[in-house]
Amino acid sequence: MIRITLENLLARRFRLISTAISVLIGVAFLAGTFVLTDTLGATFDDLFAEVNEGIDVEIRSAEEITTEFGVPVRGRIDEAILDDVLAAPGVEAAAGAVFGYAQFVDPDGSPMGNPGQGAPTYGFSWTDVDELNPTNLVDGRSPAGPDEVVIDAMTANDGPFAVGDTVTILLEGPPQRFEIVGVAKFGRADSPLGASMAIFDLDTAQQVLAEPGMFDAIDIVAADGVTADDLRDTLAAVVPDGVEAITGDQLTEEGQNAVGDALSFFNTFMLIFAAVALFVASFIIYNTFSILVVQRTKEMALLRALGAHRHQILGAILLEAVIVGIVASVLGLVAGIGVASLLKGLLAALGMAIPSGPVVFASRTIWVSLLVGVGVTAIAALAPSRRASTVAPMAAIREVEVDESGRSTIRMFAGLALLATGLAVLMWGLFGDPPDTLAAIGGGVVFVFLAVAALGPIAALPFSQVVGRPLARWRGVPGELAQENAMRNPKRTSTTAAALMIGVGLVASISIFAESAKASINKIIDDAFIGDLVIDSGSFGFGGLSPELAADLNELPEVDAASGVRIGFAEIDGEPQTIYGVDPPTMLSIVDVGISEGDVGDLHSAELAVHDDYAAEQGWEIGDTVDIAFAQTGVRPLTVTVLYTKSELTGNFFMGNEAFEANYPDVFDFQVFVRRSADFTSEQARTAVEAAAADYANAEVQDLEQYKQTQADQINQLLGLIYALLALAILIALIGIANTLALSILERTHELGLLRAVGMTRRQLRTAVRWESVLIALLGTSLGAGVGLFFGWAMVRALRDDGFTELQIPISQLVIVLVVAVAAGVLAATQPARRAANLDILKAIGTE
Amino acid sequence: MVALTDSEIYLTTNAAARAEKALKEFGSGDTSVVALDHVTMSVEAERFTAIMGPSGSGKSTLLHCLAGLEPLTGGSMYIGDTDLVSLSDSELTVLRRDRIGFVFQTFNLVPTMTAERNITLQLRLGRHPIDRAWFDTVVDELGLRDRLHHRPSELSGGQQQRVAVARALINRPDIIFADEPTGNLDSSSGQEVLGFLRQAVDNFGQTVVMVTHDPGAAAHADRVIFLVDGRIVHDLDGPNVDSILGQLRRLEA
Ligand SMILES: Nc1ncnc2c1ncn2[C@@H]1O[C@H](COP(=O)(O)OP(=O)(O)O)[C@@H](O)[C@H]1O
Ligand SMILES: [Mg+2]
Repeated sequence: MIRITLENLLARRFRLISTAISVLIGVAFLAGTFVLTDTLGATFDDLFAEVNEGIDVEIRSAEEITTEFGVPVRGRIDEAILDDVLAAPGVEAAAGAVFGYAQFVDPDGSPMGNPGQGAPTYGFSWTDVDELNPTNLVDGRSPAGPDEVVIDAMTANDGPFAVGDTVTILLEGPPQRFEIVGVAKFGRADSPLGASMAIFDLDTAQQVLAEPGMFDAIDIVAADGVTADDLRDTLAAVVPDGVEAITGDQLTEEGQNAVGDALSFFNTFMLIFAAVALFVASFIIYNTFSILVVQRTKEMALLRALGAHRHQILGAILLEAVIVGIVASVLGLVAGIGVASLLKGLLAALGMAIPSGPVVFASRTIWVSLLVGVGVTAIAALAPSRRASTVAPMAAIREVEVDESGRSTIRMFAGLALLATGLAVLMWGLFGDPPDTLAAIGGGVVFVFLAVAALGPIAALPFSQVVGRPLARWRGVPGELAQENAMRNPKRTSTTAAALMIGVGLVASISIFAESAKASINKIIDDAFIGDLVIDSGSFGFGGLSPELAADLNELPEVDAASGVRIGFAEIDGEPQTIYGVDPPTMLSIVDVGISEGDVGDLHSAELAVHDDYAAEQGWEIGDTVDIAFAQTGVRPLTVTVLYTKSELTGNFFMGNEAFEANYPDVFDFQVFVRRSADFTSEQARTAVEAAAADYANAEVQDLEQYKQTQADQINQLLGLIYALLALAILIALIGIANTLALSILERTHELGLLRAVGMTRRQLRTAVRWESVLIALLGTSLGAGVGLFFGWAMVRALRDDGFTELQIPISQLVIVLVVAVAAGVLAATQPARRAANLDILKAIGTE
Repeated sequence: MVALTDSEIYLTTNAAARAEKALKEFGSGDTSVVALDHVTMSVEAERFTAIMGPSGSGKSTLLHCLAGLEPLTGGSMYIGDTDLVSLSDSELTVLRRDRIGFVFQTFNLVPTMTAERNITLQLRLGRHPIDRAWFDTVVDELGLRDRLHHRPSELSGGQQQRVAVARALINRPDIIFADEPTGNLDSSSGQEVLGFLRQAVDNFGQTVVMVTHDPGAAAHADRVIFLVDGRIVHDLDGPNVDSILGQLRRLEA
C-alpha cells in the first residue's frame, strides 16, 4: 500500500501542491511567530544580562505596583542609604542610579523617537564606577554639571549631533538645552535596542529626571572573594524598612521575565492569526481530499476487489495526507524564518520599532510546527479517507452525476445543533462570565463557522438561484454553466466558500467593531467635551508634557481654561488601576464627566472621585475611606468625595492635582484640554496656543476634529495590522478556490471537450469557469458578511458598558469587501480557466 | 481495383464538404504515423455518406479534420466553400457551432443540462433565436417530448443518442458528423438512431457523414467510402449489406 500511496502522490503532485501550499502558509505563520518572539526574547534577555553585568547587588524600594500594562513601577529610595551601603563590609564600590523620561528634539524642532509606541526615550545618571556603567564613551568625555549631557550613538547619528553641539531635551520640567560633551555606545550597540539615552551627571539626573535626594536604585560591586548572595544578605540587614536588596542575577531574571510576559501577549495575538490560517487551510485539505477520493472511486473499488482491506485504503489515503503534511510543514518551517522578518517589517512599518538580533530557531518551533502542520492535514483528511475506505469493491462505473447529498436532513439538524451550541458559547463568552473569556469567544466563533459551513450546502442552492438566474440571462450558456457547475456539488462549493467565509467574516466583524469604536469615541468627544483644543503628547504612562505647559497656557488671555490630564498607576484591592489627575474646577469647565454626587471643590490631598458604576460594584459610598496603594507613598487612605457617570475621558478614578502630586513624584500631562476665551476667535486662540506650545516639541495642538482623527488613526493603525494578517486567511481561501476549480475541471474534462467540439469558444469557456469562481467567492463573501455582521454586532453590544455606545455598520467597506471578493474570484479562476480553455478537444472527448 | 489509384474521380460538384490531397501526420520523424495519406474526396449535399475501414485506417481522423476539430498537416479541407485551413481556432469554433452537427459515440451530452437544453445548446452558445416550430418538429420526430426535462443520467443510452441527433438537427447545419453513433447501443436502439439519421436526409434534406465499422449500419447510407491506411480504396454507391460485406472481404484479401 505504501508503494501505491507514493505512486499516487507523484502522479497527483500538482494537485497536492496547492493543498500543501495552504498548509505551508499556516505553518510558516506559526513558525514565523515563534521565531520572531524567540528572537525578540533572546535579544531582550541579552540586553538585560548586559545592563546588569557588573552589578552584584542592587538596592531599591520594596514598594512595587503592577500596572495594567503588566510592567511594574517602583518607588524611589533616600540617597542617604548610599553611605550605609558604602560602610558595609564586602562592598567594593557602589553608586546611586536614577532614570526617567528624557526625549531629544532634533535640529528641526521635532521630537525624536516615539515613546508611546516604540522604544522608550530614557534619561540616565552617569556613574564613574566602570563595572556599573553599561555604556562606553566613543567620543568626548563624561558629563559634569547641570548643562552637560552625553548622548547615545544612535541619536548622534540620527540628529545628527556631534560633541560640542547644543541639544534641546524634553523633561518633566520645561524643555532644557544641554551641551553635548560625549557620545556613548551601549555595550557594543549604538543604543539599547533603539531606545535613546540622555546621560547626565548624578545631581543633574536627580534634578531633571527624578527628585533631588532620591535614587531609583543603588548598584553595588562586591569586594574580591565576597559572593553576590552573601553581600545581598549583609546589605539586607543594613537597609531600612521598605527597601530591599537583590542580586544582579535576580535583577536580570526579573527583567527577562517581564519582557517574556509582554512577548507572550504578542505571541498569543499572532498565534490567533496562525490558527485562523490553519483553520482555513483545513477546509482546503478536507475539500481536496474529498474530491480526490471521489475521482479515485474506481481505483479504490479495484483495490478492494483485488483484496485490499478497508483499513488499508484508509491508511493509504491518510498516509498520503501525512506525507503532504510533512512536506508542507518542513517547507513552512523554512518559510517561517522569512515570515518572521516580514512580520517584523510589518510591525516596523506600523511604527513599532523592533530591535534586531540574531535569529533564534528553537527546537520547540520545529516540533510544534511539524506536529500542528501534520496534525491539521491528517485530521482534515480523516473524513474523506473514511469515505474512501467504504467504497464497495463492485462500485459501479457511474457517469458524473449531480450530487444531491448536500441537502440531507441529518446535515441540517447537525448544522443547527452546532450553530446553537456555537451561539450559546459565544454569548456566554461575550455577555457572561466564563473562566476563560478568550477561549469561550474563540470556541464559539469556531463552532459558528463550522455550523455555517455545514449548513452551507443548504444555503448554496437558493443563493445560486438568486444570483445564478440573472447571470444565465446575462452571460448566456457560460453563465448557465457557471451556475450549474457551482451547484453540481453543493458540499464542495460550500466548503470552498466556507474557507473564504472565515476570512471575510473576521474582516467584516473587525471593521464593524472598529467603526463602532470610532463612532463611540466621536460621540464621547461631542458629548463630554466643552473645550476647543486638545494638546496631545502621544505618550501614555511614560513621559509626556511638562505640566509647565498647562500653566503657561492658563496665562494667555486667549485661553479661559487649560487643564492637564495626568495618569498614575495604583493598586486597589490588589488589582492594577489607572488614576487620572486633573485640576478639578478647570477640568470640569472643559469636560463634562457627569457629576452625580459630591462637589469637585472638595477634592484636596486625600480625596478621590470614583465612577458610579465602579463604586456601586465595590459597595463604596460618598464619605467612605478606601485604601489605595501607590508605588512611592505606599498604602494611603483616600475619601470618596465625588461620584460621576461618564468614565470615557477620566476612567474609573480621578483626583485633584494636590492629591496626585502628593503620591506621584513624577508628573507629566499626557494631554492638555483647552477652552478658549469668548473674546477671541478659535483662529486667534489656536495661534496663541501654538506659539506657547512651540517650545514643547512633543505637544501636538489639535482641534476637536483633528483630535477625533488622531483617535481614529490609532484605531486604523491597529486595523491595518489585523487586516494585513487576515489577508493571509483570504489568500489561503483563494488558493482553495483555484484548487477546487482545477480539480473540478479535471473531472469535467469530457464535457468540456464536448462543449468545445460543438462550438463553445475558448473565451466562453473561460467566462464559465471565471463566473463559477465568482459565484463561489460571492457565496463565501455573503456568508462571511452575514456571520461577520452578527459577530460585530455581538461584540459591540457586549462592550456597551465599556463605552461602545454606537453601533456602526460600515456599508461602504462591506461593499468594497464584496467587490474585492469578486475580483479575487476572477483572479483565482485565471489558471484553471486557462487550462480549461486550452484543453485538447479530441483528447478530452477521448478521455475515459 | 484499377480505379482506386486515382482519387480525383471521387470529386463531385454538389459538395457539402471536400478534402483535397488532405494529409494528416501524427508525430514526426521515425515515430510519425500518416493517418490521412493525401485524401481527396467530397461529401455530396443532402446525402447520407458512410465511412468504413479497418481499425486505425483513419476514419475518425478524416471526420475530425472535416469537422474542423483537427488541423491538417497538408492539403485542404472545405465545408461548403469555406477553406478550413485558413481559419483561426476561434473561427473554426464558430463554424462548428453554427454550421456543423455532431453525434459522438458516447458522452454526447452535458450532464448538468436537461435534454431540452442539450438540444438547444449550439443555438444558445451562438445566442441565436430558437425556431420553436422546428424544435417541436424535431422533438416529436425523435419521440423526445416527454424526456425534455430529464438530465442525461436519467435517460437510456438510446435516448441520449436521440437527444444528440436532435441537437445536430435543430441547428439545420450544413453537415452532420456522426462517429460510430451506434457503437455503444443495443441493436434496436441502434436501428432507431440510424433510422433518424436516414430521415434527417430524406425528410429534412440534411447531409450526414457517419463513421462506422458495422456493415448493417453502413447499409442505411447512400454511399460508402472505404479507407485503408489513410487512403480511399473504394467508393460504393447505393450499398446494401451484401455489397458492403463483399467489399470488406475483398479489402481483407
Ligand atoms: N492523437 C493521435 N496521436 C497519434 N496518433 C494518432 C492520433 N490519433 C490517431 N492516431 C493514429 O492515426 C491512425 C488513424 O487513427 P483513427 O483515425 O483514429 O483510426 P480509425 O478511426 O479508423 O480507427 C492510427 O494509426 C492512430 O493510431
Ligand atoms: Mg475511430
